[in-house]
Amino acid sequence: MKILPLIIAFIIAAAAPLIAQEGSAEERIERGFDMFDADADSALSSAEFKLLGEFSPKLKDQPLVVAYLFRKLDANNDGKLSHDEYMGLAKLGPKPPDSPPPSPAPEAPTAKPPTADELAFFEKKIRPVLAERCYKCHAADSEKIRGGLLLDTREGIRKGGDTGPAVVAGDVSHSLIIEALNYANKDMQMPPEKSGGKLSDTVIADFTAWIKMGAPDPREGSSLAAVKPTDYTEAKQHWAYQPVKQSPLPKVSNEAWARGDIDRFILAGLDAKGIQPVGDASKTALLRRVTFDLTGLPPTPEQTQAFLQSAIRNPQSAIETVVDALLKSPRFGERWGRHWLDVARYAESTGRDVNCTLPHAWRYRDYVIDAFNADKPFDTFIQEQIAGDLLPAKDSRERAEKLIATGFLAIGSRSLNERNPKQFALDMADEQIDALSQSVLGITIACARCHDHKFDPITQRDYYALAGILLSTETLYGTAATFQNAHPAGMIDLPTDCGLPRVNLKLSTEDRAEKESELAKSKRYGDMLLPSVLALYRYSNGAGNALNNDPKKLIQVVGVSAKIKAAELELATFDAEGWPKLMAIGARDYPAKATPKPFRMPREIGDIMDSVNRRPSDQSAINDSPLYARGDVAKPGEKVARGFPSIVGGAGTSALPSNESGRRELAAWLTSKDNVLTARVITNRVWYWLFGRGIVESVDNFGVMGQAPANPALLDHLALKFSKNGWSVKQLIRSIVLSHAYQLATTYEKTAFEDDPENTLVWRMTPRRLEAECIRDAMLAISGSLQITPPTASAVALLGDRTIGGLVIPTMTPPLSDETFLTASGTTRSVYLPVPRDAVPDVLSVFDFAEQSMVAGKREVTTVPSQALYLLNNDFVAQQARRFADRVLALPAATQITSAFELAFARSPTEHERQQALSFFNDATSGSAVERATWTSFCRALFCSAEFRLMD
Amino acid sequence: MNIHFPYPLGTRRDALKSMSSGFGYLAFSALAARAADPSSAPLAPKRPHFPAKAKRVIFLCMRGAPSHVDTFDYKPALNKNTGKDSRVPGAKLLGSRWKFSPSGRSGLPMSELFPNLAKHTDELCMIHSMHTELPAHAQSFLKLHTGTSQFVRPSLGAWSLYGLGTVNENLPGFVAIAPPSLNGGAQNYGSAFLPAIYQGTRVGVDTRPIAQAQVRNIVPPISSTAQMKEIALVQALNREKLDRDRVNPEVGGVIESFELAFKMQSEMPKVMDLAQETPATLAMYGIRDGAPSDDFGRKCLLARRMVEAGVRFVEVTHSDWDHHFKLSTALPANCSAIDQPIAGLLQDLGERGLLKDTLVVWSGEFGRTPHAQGGDGRDHNNKGYTAWMAGGGVKGGMAYGATDELGYEAVENKVHIHDLHATILHLLGLDHEKLTYRYAGRDFRLTDVKGHVVREVMA
Repeated sequence: MKILPLIIAFIIAAAAPLIAQEGSAEERIERGFDMFDADADSALSSAEFKLLGEFSPKLKDQPLVVAYLFRKLDANNDGKLSHDEYMGLAKLGPKPPDSPPPSPAPEAPTAKPPTADELAFFEKKIRPVLAERCYKCHAADSEKIRGGLLLDTREGIRKGGDTGPAVVAGDVSHSLIIEALNYANKDMQMPPEKSGGKLSDTVIADFTAWIKMGAPDPREGSSLAAVKPTDYTEAKQHWAYQPVKQSPLPKVSNEAWARGDIDRFILAGLDAKGIQPVGDASKTALLRRVTFDLTGLPPTPEQTQAFLQSAIRNPQSAIETVVDALLKSPRFGERWGRHWLDVARYAESTGRDVNCTLPHAWRYRDYVIDAFNADKPFDTFIQEQIAGDLLPAKDSRERAEKLIATGFLAIGSRSLNERNPKQFALDMADEQIDALSQSVLGITIACARCHDHKFDPITQRDYYALAGILLSTETLYGTAATFQNAHPAGMIDLPTDCGLPRVNLKLSTEDRAEKESELAKSKRYGDMLLPSVLALYRYSNGAGNALNNDPKKLIQVVGVSAKIKAAELELATFDAEGWPKLMAIGARDYPAKATPKPFRMPREIGDIMDSVNRRPSDQSAINDSPLYARGDVAKPGEKVARGFPSIVGGAGTSALPSNESGRRELAAWLTSKDNVLTARVITNRVWYWLFGRGIVESVDNFGVMGQAPANPALLDHLALKFSKNGWSVKQLIRSIVLSHAYQLATTYEKTAFEDDPENTLVWRMTPRRLEAECIRDAMLAISGSLQITPPTASAVALLGDRTIGGLVIPTMTPPLSDETFLTASGTTRSVYLPVPRDAVPDVLSVFDFAEQSMVAGKREVTTVPSQALYLLNNDFVAQQARRFADRVLALPAATQITSAFELAFARSPTEHERQQALSFFNDATSGSAVERATWTSFCRALFCSAEFRLMD
Repeated sequence: MNIHFPYPLGTRRDALKSMSSGFGYLAFSALAARAADPSSAPLAPKRPHFPAKAKRVIFLCMRGAPSHVDTFDYKPALNKNTGKDSRVPGAKLLGSRWKFSPSGRSGLPMSELFPNLAKHTDELCMIHSMHTELPAHAQSFLKLHTGTSQFVRPSLGAWSLYGLGTVNENLPGFVAIAPPSLNGGAQNYGSAFLPAIYQGTRVGVDTRPIAQAQVRNIVPPISSTAQMKEIALVQALNREKLDRDRVNPEVGGVIESFELAFKMQSEMPKVMDLAQETPATLAMYGIRDGAPSDDFGRKCLLARRMVEAGVRFVEVTHSDWDHHFKLSTALPANCSAIDQPIAGLLQDLGERGLLKDTLVVWSGEFGRTPHAQGGDGRDHNNKGYTAWMAGGGVKGGMAYGATDELGYEAVENKVHIHDLHATILHLLGLDHEKLTYRYAGRDFRLTDVKGHVVREVMA
């Protein structure tokens, strides 16, 4: 009985607006509004309201009651129910619209002037308590106003603070002050223990009585002025928010040491502390370093020889030649593209609660790799990822690439089982804000979702200004509407003539016919089921509850509908000839005005699923977002005009267009010359990727809580030069790796180490551990089995739309086991391995792969036994060691040991190492199977050694 | 019991001192160097914030949400009103078909579904007032494990390990036995932004018998002698590099990791090998071929062997308690699968003197409705349910908090998931407000900005 319960969980989740008991009466009623607002004009016409009545068992045959209700709710008599008017339903009774009250609803307490007795009650029993016990934190003149709540005016106490109104006249249960005074909510016990603790029962009874009598309150005055804006005067002085400025080239102690501007800034920093840089790296170490850094692969023995040869003649031109060749190699994009994929939280499944695959995500991966190979200007690169769909394109190919680029917005993790569509929309926008603000700007704007940012000058208004842009954007991440996935989305169809590769997976005519006939069968079954289902939720007492109480029916409905949806989605991904269509995940703008999605009685079983969890109409059009108090979806406040945070550069936002989301402007703003963060953040990232530490060590956080730059003048110099040089990442990398600083040895120096143990000033090259991809790719390269031609697509693409882990439903394609991915190997480069969330191949996760649920500009470096176990015992490693051994055994016996060292470490063995190797082979008889096994063991030992995974 | 772990609860240094394998001495200097710099030894035992009542945790996770009104939360009023209209239109109240009777000296009512566990009533600390936000498995399961379903955050076990380190580095510090791959899968024992070293090591999956489970990459592809020789070469190369570099903690770390890996490779299969146990012990856990309690018995025994060997946090999952249907047969089947094993675990821990500082926690992701669904089932209920704790520092034989008389909602001394987390950390000697990790410029906590320690349940 594993399946059934979960199916029910699903339908409850999926069919919430129709059948579930989820949420408060208000929430259920509110869902009805979106559901029946057929023309999406944010109002219900009388026809729409009548249809709503149709769905209520008790109203169904009561046209007069429905008409009465409509008139009653339509306060301004305009023949339509606005949202607020409609929500009047909530006041009519506990379970409307199922049980309309027989008599007119009780009137809300009217604002009749308080009597003298009532005022006396306030003055005697209430005001003194407020003044004595509450004003310290909740009055205009409080040192610090807590919870945004002011209790010193009538307006303040009724308006309430962050969590809602403190007092609702006449309504004790909705007056939060009573909840707080009663200590009923652990997070809101007032007055708090440290300020004298809970008031006496008598006093609380007085408050209750006072609210019941209508909360008479003579205290005039506005509470607005008293809501103090967060004081950001100091935060605005933070270094990262100041203009990027070019410092004059500093004088240095050793002119000859400095090869260029970078070196002058570095040496000046060291001079200031009286630290001497160490000597240069050996030629072999330098070649290995720069080859790994630029392409993620080790140099071949031939490359090493060639470099050593040419370096004898002219060391500088030798290294320049090598660097230029590496920058030109397609392997460069595979290495540097992966760096950006860390930042972009790239993954091939949605993660979190229902882990659905993203079979088209690889196109974004390839876009990133291609962008780095083509040295696409970084500003363009960012603009395309934020707003590629809105930018001009010269042909289909370019159009396709720009659409794919917006995959950045769609690639995040998300909670597909979320029941509240509005919450889902807000969470998705939040994830996007978090990703784009940390990746591009290095600041944590998402912290301002619930309150003004505590440290950085970003207000909650700034947050919702940005949220409006993303809420006006449709995120097309695909996924099949299988069990538990309550939020399948569309995908982008790429221009058919764009020339991009397709997944090599043709659907044969026979297969298609079979799938189509399966689908037709499911649909026939659905048609058969439909009338009884409709009857159940339409005519039974308690709406969907009857369906919920008929488990068999539920299974049938959800089972067949999920099956239909999955089959339809699968068939839709193939073109007429049976080739996979060119699709991508990404983003596009919602229309300026929501497209009417008329609500009809479901005609097919699938319609039931389509009609639920529908994104609300105000979040399906170009629209400003309300500011949600405390980030709470149930507490929308006034709308905030879409825009960008003002602090981080540029003038204030001018009004954004009403027919576009504003992403175009956002993209331009992020990369404008006035933006003080973008260039600094990316140059710092590049520095980190080449030195193992950033000039700003907190690479994803340049805010007040981040670390200060170790060498601010150098950072600004690099940033300015970068933007002036057309945002060329390759140029930036070239200038850095050709600097003297980059070419230093990793030598340990006691005094320098004591002065600067973290090497923040770069007195040496920091010794680094290779990333997981480099370790695996190096094994493949050294064993001679690396397949250098990039594969088309990804293993995930071949598997299609599935879930990883999850429910086993007999009639449906089973979920994928995570084992499929954990053990994924193959011989292509690691950047092409499948990387679904929570199911990353062992070889990557064991060596600290990037955390895929958030911007991860930095990788952890751990050294743990599981890595040793992997290298010692894993099949893949054994296989590469065996091939490595075979490769070496094919060479003349006298050179075998030397060759093995040269392949593995790009250097010859020391004499002592040679001796140890020889003694290791003592027992092995030449030419025997024993010899091969011993060599395999020897080669694996080289893979296991610290030197193999470290970079000097 | 005739297995002796060479270094059961000693320190890593003790372990190395007594070590006799061929290359142990190599690692020692590296370890000593790292001991001087604790930041480079993230798993080294750490001092708690205040003296701990519990040193380790066994979390018995009941995936699918067990019915509290049929198991631990006795509701006579519900039984009396069975068949009457419930607060949900169209659904009728369903009394429990199982008898409850006072049990132990404390006289707490125990359901007849747990005849063996009932013998330990006086060790159990029932929390009848648990509640969580959503009646949806996926979200609430994640919330139970990580405190949130909205964001990807470290799990309870990872936080515990981060806070306390481990006393036996030859074994993982956090083990998840048979975790499900759904409801967030690996996130439920993941480390999120905490260093990966704190994530749980998975042993087995919930869909296969635990007897077949193996940890990946633990079986050498070559003979032990050959591998010893290989490792000796690795360490010789490493030592040579260390000599060349003079100071390079990373190389020291690699040397140490091979040392520990080799030991883990021999120790892990030993811990997993239940053949070491006496027939009496196996019987205590209900382990016998064909018995309904066999599989979960093995898991519980595995958990005991692990905590005894020094693992800090062991989570054991039992699936699946999602009884929308056939409650009358499926629930007793589940209960008989876990009753003997859990009773055996408590008894065994007690006899070994481990119960006093091992915290055992039993919970699902939420509870079930007092009304029936489809006649013989119960729907999801997040507003009130029962979790219980035993051992390390909690009061036995007590019931804390209460749901309303029908069992719908927690009404007295409500305990939220955040409160449960805060309390578990507190018992481990950790202040949930001080156990923080700085990530992206912010200090993160398991309990975010919430959580209250439930002091009343502490002994």
